Amino acid sequence: MVLCWIALPIFAILGIFSARYRRLTRDSFECLFKTMTFRKCQTGLDDKFKSDITATVMKFSPRTAGFVYKNYKLLSWIFLILLVWSTYYTSIGVYNYIQYGNCNGPDSTGFCIFDPLGENSQISTCSTEDLGINSTSLNHPQVESNDPIIGNLNAELTIIEFGCYTCPYTKKAEPVIKEVLDYYKGRVNLQFKDFPLQNHNLSYETTLAANCANEQDKYEKYHNELFKNQEVLTEQMLYNLANSLKLDVVKFTSCITNETYKDEIESDREQGISALVPGTPTFFINGNKIVGPKPFKTFKTIIDGELK
Amino acid sequence: MIFFTPEKARKDFPILQKGIIYFDNACMSLKPIQVINKINEYYNEYPACLGRSNHQLARRLKEEIETAREIIRKFINAKDSSEIIITRNTTEGINLIANSLGLKEGNEIIITDKEHNSNLIPWLKLKKAGIKLKICESNRDNTFNIENLKKLISQNTKLVSIVHVSNLDGVQNPIDEIIKLSHAHKIPVLIDAAQSIPHREIDVRKLDVDFLAFSGHKMLGPTGTGILYGKKEHLEKMEQFLVGGETVIDSTYESYIPEELPAKFEAGLQDYTGIIGLGEACKYLESIGMKNIQNQETKLNQIITEGLKNEHNIQIIGPIEPEKRSGIFSFNIKGMEAHHISLILDKTKKIMTRSGAHCVHSWFNKHNLKGSVRASLYFYNTEEEAKIFVEEVKKIARMIL
Repeated sequence: MVLCWIALPIFAILGIFSARYRRLTRDSFECLFKTMTFRKCQTGLDDKFKSDITATVMKFSPRTAGFVYKNYKLLSWIFLILLVWSTYYTSIGVYNYIQYGNCNGPDSTGFCIFDPLGENSQISTCSTEDLGINSTSLNHPQVESNDPIIGNLNAELTIIEFGCYTCPYTKKAEPVIKEVLDYYKGRVNLQFKDFPLQNHNLSYETTLAANCANEQDKYEKYHNELFKNQEVLTEQMLYNLANSLKLDVVKFTSCITNETYKDEIESDREQGISALVPGTPTFFINGNKIVGPKPFKTFKTIIDGELK
Repeated sequence: MIFFTPEKARKDFPILQKGIIYFDNACMSLKPIQVINKINEYYNEYPACLGRSNHQLARRLKEEIETAREIIRKFINAKDSSEIIITRNTTEGINLIANSLGLKEGNEIIITDKEHNSNLIPWLKLKKAGIKLKICESNRDNTFNIENLKKLISQNTKLVSIVHVSNLDGVQNPIDEIIKLSHAHKIPVLIDAAQSIPHREIDVRKLDVDFLAFSGHKMLGPTGTGILYGKKEHLEKMEQFLVGGETVIDSTYESYIPEELPAKFEAGLQDYTGIIGLGEACKYLESIGMKNIQNQETKLNQIITEGLKNEHNIQIIGPIEPEKRSGIFSFNIKGMEAHHISLILDKTKKIMTRSGAHCVHSWFNKHNLKGSVRASLYFYNTEEEAKIFVEEVKKIARMIL
């Protein structure tokens, strides 16, 4: 009876393609129906399953085959429970993959069979422990006027990103964010909040430099250059980039030297900690949190829902 | 065949080239190429009507059918070919007797407790008409008990209808003794020879049997063919069973004149390919030699019985001695269902057996058994196959211990 439960949907699907399986589907249904109504299954399907399984096992180990034969009912029930359990989790996994690009949910880095390399689920190596986060409250960050905006200033929806210029994962998310902004043609913009990582070299300095560039209305270009040159950044390069973007280098240097935006950076970081940012990049789209460089469709699913 | 070997005979059976071990011969025998070719011959060379048309194809068919009937007559040594009635199977033959013998209320029929449904149900059906069915109980080892038969015979007994070789366990009933006893009381005897005629020589005149019914499909012949032999004096007196086309000489709106034997009992257009195929099957069996067939089956059953009789959880149905069970080895394994054993044998070694009640539900119900696995052998089975079967059944039986 138990295997008829399992066989019914399988044969039903195969029956779409072959008449042979349509007959087996009818047999499975009849077997199931009769058993549930306390009558004997007459189709012989259950007998065939039991015999086939025993015979197959017998080829390798007669002793195991005997065990399977004698405990067939119990094993069938265990198998059914496992099937239901795995089907439940597979369904959730598939839903998560479609919704977030990761089988295990939006914030997970666990293994996903649909994404074996884990490209969709990688997040910054920086963990909350590294950050000294022990907050248990979750305060969603707000759009602030003192943080730079990339994209249309009057957009309907703002993606808030906690990022770090020296974080390779934040860099990896950059093209996706560009794609998102292009796709929604001004309906969505991005606010980049500073989240420098303590154990990354030049993390604070690059954040400071980007804020100083913002002072001279060259934020987006400087932001892009920082990511473009991420792997080869030096302290001197921060000034060279300012120069190449025709910034007032004296003003820029003074801004860096005086750490003009130290409090602003600290404020952003506090917001991130308060919002339980586990690493960079972490995105907030209204109440939705996305951790790591997720694919375009993850953003699209959430944004479409928010723009409705 | 003077120098018979199963290996030589196997070459005539195309299906055996597929690597199967066919041990379901009591249900259906395989067909040699000679029979298959003979069937095709009808469709290729004379696909006509018999007894209706008079063109050359119809005349050729008439010759072939007459030849086939004559071969079958010789095969059982009947006196006259008009005593050979072509039926669809043994069941139809027995039904013909049950419905044409002119039985009346109060008449009694004796059968054994091991009859196939084909020799039980036709008589049970007559209960409504007041005909009484008496069951002759077998001995504890499933062999026939002649004393029980003696006790059952009365002046109301109109027929003793007995299976020759049981399809359940292969036990052969002493039909010569049964016939003599019945005839001493002037009671005719009908023998169900479905399981005996494919495996041993039967001489109806020597036996002095009144009626003998058998099927073609168990003796290398086509499916849907059977023969009812009857002594002419009985058949002539009997009422027609199925009537219609070919069963009358003439008819008006008020009456009809029945045909002579055998057409009297052969209503409608017959299975011509079946009849000529059955004739060819009889020829083939004669060429193999019935003694060779019997010897080969006994030898194989000895191998199987010796190999399995000491397995603790194997229960053999019928007597333990293989020579008493013809070519049949019917068994159960304690703790397993017969269907499962049969399916496992098929799956692991392509051994084809039958499982279930083998149409002898009454016996299994009486003994409170669900069924059994039946390996039924034939001359084309080999010793090697028997050994493989033994090893596989042993393996199954031991795995469950």
